[in-house]
Amino acid sequence: MMKRFLTVALILAAFAVPSLARATTIQEVTSPKGIHAWLVEDHKLPIIDISFAFRGGVEQDPVDKQGLCSLATTLLTEGAGNYDAVAYQQILSEKSIGIGFEAGRDAITGHAKFLSADQAKAFELLRLALAKPRFDQADITRMRTEFIGAIREQFGSPDWQGRNALLKEVFAGHPYSMRRLGSEKSLNAITRDDIKGFAAEHLARSNLVVAVAGDIKPDDLAAMLDQVFGALPAEAKLMPVTDAPWPATPTHVVVTREGTQTGLLFAWRGPKRSDPDWYALEVANYVIGGGGFASRLMHEVREKRGLTYGIDTHLSAMEHAGMIAGDAAIDNNKVAESWRVAHETIRDFYDNGITQAEMTAAKDYLTGAMPMAMTSTDKAASAMLGLQLEHLGPHFFDDYPGIIHALTLEQINQAIRRWYDPDAISFSMVGKPEGIADATYKPMVRE
Amino acid sequence: MFRLNILRLALLGFLLTVPDAVHAAIFYPTHFTLGNGLEVIVVPNHVAPVVTQMVWYKVGASDEVGKKRGIAHYLEHLMFRGTPSIPDGEFSKIIASQGGTENAFTSYDYTAYFETVAADRLPMIMQMEADRMHNLVIAPDTAKPELSVVLNERQQRTDNNPIGRFVEKVRHTLLPHHPYGLPLIGFRHQIESLTAADAQAFYNAHYAPNNAVVVISGDVTPDDVMRLAASIYGAVPRRDVEARRALPPATLPKSGSFSMVDAGIEQPQVELHIVVPSYHTQKQQEAYAYEVLNAILDEGESGLLYRRLVRGKGLASGVASSYDPDARGDADLTIAISPAPEKKVAQVEKALRDTLNDLAQKGLDDKAVNDAKARLKREAIFARDSLMMPGYVFGSALATGHSVAAVEAWPQRIEAVTTEQVNDALRDMLKNPHTLVAELLPDPHASQAAREAAQPVLSQDRGVR
Repeated sequence: MMKRFLTVALILAAFAVPSLARATTIQEVTSPKGIHAWLVEDHKLPIIDISFAFRGGVEQDPVDKQGLCSLATTLLTEGAGNYDAVAYQQILSEKSIGIGFEAGRDAITGHAKFLSADQAKAFELLRLALAKPRFDQADITRMRTEFIGAIREQFGSPDWQGRNALLKEVFAGHPYSMRRLGSEKSLNAITRDDIKGFAAEHLARSNLVVAVAGDIKPDDLAAMLDQVFGALPAEAKLMPVTDAPWPATPTHVVVTREGTQTGLLFAWRGPKRSDPDWYALEVANYVIGGGGFASRLMHEVREKRGLTYGIDTHLSAMEHAGMIAGDAAIDNNKVAESWRVAHETIRDFYDNGITQAEMTAAKDYLTGAMPMAMTSTDKAASAMLGLQLEHLGPHFFDDYPGIIHALTLEQINQAIRRWYDPDAISFSMVGKPEGIADATYKPMVRE
Repeated sequence: MFRLNILRLALLGFLLTVPDAVHAAIFYPTHFTLGNGLEVIVVPNHVAPVVTQMVWYKVGASDEVGKKRGIAHYLEHLMFRGTPSIPDGEFSKIIASQGGTENAFTSYDYTAYFETVAADRLPMIMQMEADRMHNLVIAPDTAKPELSVVLNERQQRTDNNPIGRFVEKVRHTLLPHHPYGLPLIGFRHQIESLTAADAQAFYNAHYAPNNAVVVISGDVTPDDVMRLAASIYGAVPRRDVEARRALPPATLPKSGSFSMVDAGIEQPQVELHIVVPSYHTQKQQEAYAYEVLNAILDEGESGLLYRRLVRGKGLASGVASSYDPDARGDADLTIAISPAPEKKVAQVEKALRDTLNDLAQKGLDDKAVNDAKARLKREAIFARDSLMMPGYVFGSALATGHSVAAVEAWPQRIEAVTTEQVNDALRDMLKNPHTLVAELLPDPHASQAAREAAQPVLSQDRGVR
């Protein structure tokens, strides 16, 4: 028995040394018109993937017209240039060209994936979606109806109720407390002119970020950049957004809902991506709740006691705030026990920090996981877009292992003392949790 | 030295994988069988210095007998609970400590385990899978808390989820007296009765190299994998396993339709389920015609059904179709439609049937069929842009009696499908007696409280396991 264990241990030792010097090469390409992109050139498969973003997302919505960014973004692929919505969708389907947009909190992201043989058509459709969206009234009405349906469905989702309740408290008064899809009332207040205006002011070259991967040469990419993005206005008109405050005392909300289980969402003020503690907290988060089955919370709450199917935490960095958040679904009569166990686990983590062995395991994970970010064309493009949105450089993947390995146990444990105070946790619970007295009880949002 | 080898052989691998324009295959794999009966498939993909391993056992919920329902899935959980050399909880920790990801899933016809790690850690994950292929020891003190986890999973996926409740009832009604008709995870009372000894017995009866398939894809070469597999997996002894019993023939449902009213539902849904041949049960390649037909019915916003029922008549807010021919028994082709708000469910259901009958009567034209075939063949190219896809495709094929050659010939077989065959499939489908119409409807009389109580708490999936 011991012998076999040694064998495995030896194999681990032999392969635990990070030997991934071969990071994927990122090229920087600038078009004749000055549009900049990152490229991972790879001709093994006949596939091209373009990921791009315009900074300034849902946060830009006027308070009385929440949902504007989402609605405008969705309509970009519902007819453009001479193609009405049906014709546009038809041609995407015929050529298996995937083009889609999404309204994020801090940016509108776009994505196109297609076979390189179909690139001319794909570039044309992408150019039209950005520069000549039709915003036909019939399509606006159809998508608005779809949004209202989606909002009604949201009201039934405990996930959404919990998130909404928590964000409303911790980001009170800041655009981050706004609703991505808005409300029925705010959607009905949005006119075609609002949508046209939003697109004209927010889709521009000054706030554009582009990442491309796959079967395309740098020169062809430069030409594509001008063709697709060249007709956009030079400067975006963005509303300035300030950094979000975080309340001095933690918030505890219970949103009352029938059912046998409670959805728990808990959060601390977290670091922005540029915070000097960021990397130490990546290690710390892995140990407490980010490491899946290897994390302390999963071990204590699920593996040892079977109190939940899963519990995890993550760092959530936004442009104007940061959050460390975690969630779990728990039977109503087990909520108090689970929360006590979770809380004690966090307190021990805060008081005593992590061990040398845990630090090593977390560092091995983080550095070993890095190449997983690039295992397909779309993942490579999306990873490069993420780096640019976070204001990081193209050498990030080369630098990252060094940064992580240089962290000391002391640095990490000091960072834990700064961020993971067990008495500073805000939470929302959605359900009928038993034995949770110290909280404000609220009804579910229904309009 | 390892790296040099990879570079040299990568050149060879590249030459081997230049697609032949006329007879394009999909993955261009290397396939071999070890002395102990283990089949190994290798698909090099050098996009990143990463490798994915999937280990498939040719056993699933449809192989369960008697009252021990849910044992295949319970055993899948227990496979992470320890061998003498890798104790309880260590499997996941070791993979995670290397930056890797791992998980597992169970289906009716197979159970699969997979890991993704940096390519130079391949020997490690092979060693770990080889270890639990024959050394699993299920201890009662770890099996018990895992049973709570499984019960929690059932609660979250089925009991606490209106869609889960509906799916369970659809299967049960569509395939009475058939293993595919029972819930994969087991009914609650059945799960509660499962023991560590049951799981160990099921493991002993089915887990062996001669009943498994390993698929490796990523930054590797066939030669290296062959060498590693021979020394690592080759050491696992062959073991007699229970012969796989043929599935009983499907019997017709007692009734051709049912409605389920559920307080947790806001948006009604109608599903048309038709039991049609799979790759394994087809007689004359008709599964490929059904795949083309499904691609036509599932085209999304520009598809025939969407244009007629959503845009044209405004009767529905969405329509979709699905069909998975990778099964030992017959497969379920499902057309699902969501009635638009304020529209009567019966009216929408009739419009769907009328539209299908009209398409069958007039016949789908060459353009519709050729467009669908072109889309399917493009999908085969996109499938290569993924480390998991070779594992899924070869694993599910080999576990259901299909072959590597048949997978690779897929683009040609799709190409060979004629418009006439697709129209035959459509007509056969519409007169197929093994059909069920299932409606999932909101409860207009339910109180707000009852509606909330009937909905799931967390919609997101937290890992398959």
